[in-house]
Amino acid sequence: MEEMATTPASMLSGGPGAGSELAIEKREQAMLELADFDEVVRVYRPRILRFLLSSLTDRDAAESLTQECFMKAWSARHQFRGDSSLSTWLTRIAVNLMRDHLRSRSLRFWQKTRGSSLDVMDISDWVPDGRGTPESLAVARDRVAAVWEAVKSLSAQQRTVFVLRFVEELELDEIATTIGMNLSTVKSHLYRALAIIRERMGGAK
Amino acid sequence: MKFRKDAVADNTANETREEVREMAEALSLYRSAMQHIAEREAARPFAPGVSQRMTERRPERRSRFSLLLAPALAAAVAAAVLVPMYGHFHHEHGATPAPVVANGQQHANDTHAAVDDTALMNQIDSEVSEDVPDALRPLADLSDQTTTTSSVSEKKNATQE
Repeated sequence: MEEMATTPASMLSGGPGAGSELAIEKREQAMLELADFDEVVRVYRPRILRFLLSSLTDRDAAESLTQECFMKAWSARHQFRGDSSLSTWLTRIAVNLMRDHLRSRSLRFWQKTRGSSLDVMDISDWVPDGRGTPESLAVARDRVAAVWEAVKSLSAQQRTVFVLRFVEELELDEIATTIGMNLSTVKSHLYRALAIIRERMGGAK
Repeated sequence: MKFRKDAVADNTANETREEVREMAEALSLYRSAMQHIAEREAARPFAPGVSQRMTERRPERRSRFSLLLAPALAAAVAAAVLVPMYGHFHHEHGATPAPVVANGQQHANDTHAAVDDTALMNQIDSEVSEDVPDALRPLADLSDQTTTTSSVSEKKNATQE
């Protein structure tokens, strides 16, 4: 009863102000979350690093951009309006940083950029051993390696959409919001990415 | 015939289903592998090298900026110092006829002075060659005698040598 007494009436009734109240509550929650930035880094760093590592396949670049992402988030934390979740906001910053990085890397074509790249062995070696026979383990490793190689061959946009969908497990509309594309473009990139990966995996089989 | 077509269609559907299942499994394994690797990487603190690079990025820009700025400033300072010096030198060099004029003027002055001197000498000469006033006549005679005596003694010394 006490809880009901403290809850705004509009939220209980589900009236016209309920949506805005929810948005305010969500925003306040995001602001509260952002206030403890150490905790933000602790919770979201693996996710941002995973996205950048999957997209760039370069440890140094991924780590550097992850750090830069949190530095940017820290300096822009007062501009965060809470319109999207903190996770979406951070991922958007990471996507923008990655775009800038890829653009600058394409300009610095003479520079060696693959010094700390993830090897296919790093990925396929991880496949857990508890998969029955050694043959099935080898097959599983080959499949992961084939996906890895196929993902590397995707265009930057296809790879971003693919990673956000199949590694970060975002919904398509979340992907569209995060990378600032319309939904049909996201679907188109994802369709093409899957077609390429399927083709590559068929060839690897 | 119809039975065979259905069988082929079933086989194709099964193959497609199998292919989709394999792909879904591969994607799932890939996701797990990426999650594992990212967790392992994120477990480490931010790499000092990366932090260092991050903190060095701005000073690097600053040093690059100073590398550009330093020669520009040096050139500006050099220009600020050398241009007035050159102007001064040029002015001095351009003004060298002035001493010539001055010398000429000095020469004219000297000539004028020389003329004056000549006039003065002539004046003195004329005045000296004037007749000795009567009051000074004895002195004049004495002077003539001394001169004569000394000249005779000089001649004597010369012949003795």
